[in-house]
Amino acid sequence: MKLLTKTTLNFLSITLFVFLFGIVAFYFLLRGQVDKNVNFELEKRKTSIISQLNSNDPANSIPPNPNERIIIDVLINNDPLPEFTYTDTLIFDDLQKRYIPFRKLGFVANFNNQRIYIQIFKSLEESDFLIVQIFLILTALVIVLIVSLLVMNRITLQHSWKIFNRTIKKISNYDVNTHKQFMLQKSDIKEFNDLNRVIETMTNRINSDYLNLKEYTENASHEIQNPLAIINSKMELLLQSGDLKESDYKAVVDAYEASNRLSRLNKTLILLAKIENRQFPESKDVILSEIINNQLDLLEDLIISKNIIIENSINIGFSVYMNPYLAEILFVNLIKNALRHNVENGNIQIKQVENTISISNTGPKHNMNSDELFQRFHKSSNSSESLGLGLPIVKKICEVYNFDVDYEYDEMHYFSIKFDA
Amino acid sequence: MKILIIEDEKALSDSIVEYLTTEGHLCEAVYDFQKAREKIELYEYDCAIVDINLPDGSGLDIIKKIKEKQISLGIIIISGRGSLENRIEGLEIGADHYLTKPFHLAELNAHLKSINRRINFSGNNEIILNEIKILPDEHRAFVNEIELKLTKKEYDLLLFFISNKNRVITKISLAEYLWGDFMDTADSFDFIYTHIKNLRKKLLKLDCEDYIQTIYGVGYKFDLSIA
Repeated sequence: MKLLTKTTLNFLSITLFVFLFGIVAFYFLLRGQVDKNVNFELEKRKTSIISQLNSNDPANSIPPNPNERIIIDVLINNDPLPEFTYTDTLIFDDLQKRYIPFRKLGFVANFNNQRIYIQIFKSLEESDFLIVQIFLILTALVIVLIVSLLVMNRITLQHSWKIFNRTIKKISNYDVNTHKQFMLQKSDIKEFNDLNRVIETMTNRINSDYLNLKEYTENASHEIQNPLAIINSKMELLLQSGDLKESDYKAVVDAYEASNRLSRLNKTLILLAKIENRQFPESKDVILSEIINNQLDLLEDLIISKNIIIENSINIGFSVYMNPYLAEILFVNLIKNALRHNVENGNIQIKQVENTISISNTGPKHNMNSDELFQRFHKSSNSSESLGLGLPIVKKICEVYNFDVDYEYDEMHYFSIKFDA
Repeated sequence: MKILIIEDEKALSDSIVEYLTTEGHLCEAVYDFQKAREKIELYEYDCAIVDINLPDGSGLDIIKKIKEKQISLGIIIISGRGSLENRIEGLEIGADHYLTKPFHLAELNAHLKSINRRINFSGNNEIILNEIKILPDEHRAFVNEIELKLTKKEYDLLLFFISNKNRVITKISLAEYLWGDFMDTADSFDFIYTHIKNLRKKLLKLDCEDYIQTIYGVGYKFDLSIA
């Protein structure tokens, strides 16, 4: 749920709650006040009627009032005394042909030694009308107030959140490899500015860490290559000198081969780190059939030595937007893998279905699953010379470009890469 | 050839000098940017071997300087940085070859030989070694004036052997010369064996001496002393 929706809902539920209870309470308060007023008037009327009765002066007769009626009953002695009460009642109005609410005061008075029961009725029509009017006006006012508050809230918040949303968008598009200055828009909300400031400090730190790391990898590679170059050159010179014993020769060659392997390992790890750091940004449309054919040419010796039949049915002209060098590395590693784990007189099929290219090869079954296969330094026992970094490189490249890479075994080893359209 | 070696690692520089001196080249070694600039201002060389990362400057600047003064001079870059951009940058400013450290001295030597041919016999050069004759510009080889039909790899092998004649050539240096980085050594050793077997067969068929000697466990030697 969006924060704006949540606050709006909270606001609405609370105001509606308060409003409903308030309005009920308000009604009763108002009603009570009006009743009190009417009672007071009825009381005044009673006093004037009693004084009239006592003076018995016809000139002092009760002035007619359209809102008022008076009923006088003579009480017989044995009638029970009615109580002195205020009550609400409905009386049918002949003129308007409808019931009208009245408030009644009944009391007993003495007149000419007779006891009479007098009931004064006062119409409540006007005051009821007033109450309804006040009610309607008040409700309208409150509703207008709530709606305008909501609208205003929405507008201000949306404006403020726009900046926040821009920040989010910028962060999700953030790529440490673009080397662009990371700037966020200023907001008039303190919290957002705080957030922006923290994010900017963070990205600056990430940037400098990244640059340091990059520099470190590069320097490390250079620094390691130097001593390796010295070792190699000295060993080569040693091998040239004719006066080595047979056993010394063997030792020197072993050391020489080991240092060569070390340098290959170093180069491959640097490559892997560079792919991970996305340091191959230049992309273009790479025609995969050309790349694959080139790699097959380069690997000709390997193909001939195992007498492997290649079936290649890639669509000519199928292109993928990526770095051409990485495309080469991707396919040379896949094809080399298919060759290395193949059998004599085996075959390799390179096929394409829509955006998916699959490379499948014959070869002995193994128990490794897809995850294990793509792990670094995970080697099958029969090829101790390989570094165990070919498939991890394939996986890394696919990760960089969001290609799906998959492995299955179904009589053949089956690697497939789904290229995004 | 008169060769200037600009490399700050003294031990590596010494190895290069030693290897190349026995090849009959005249080598001078400098270890920093300033000395290198002085040398190229004062003297003339046939070839320069330049390390890019020097303690007080960039080898690339030296190459630009050299090219201003003497356009035909051969240049081989040796660098720890082997990325594609580095290579392209180096070759664009006029280097003939770009070797990534660690490299093989035999490979460096082979590149020097090709530079030597370019400088000294521009166009009509031939390499003659007893009964073997090679026309490097046409990629053709002859034994006793009869043309050898060689595949590209066999031709490259023969040229590499002749460039490093009488030397012990390790299998690894052969493999990297023929396939670069991308072939795993275990695989390539088998192919080297096959290619050399075929090359030898072709040479012997034309009554060539069997110069290619196998040094068990190490590699090969193109040994002229046996003739």
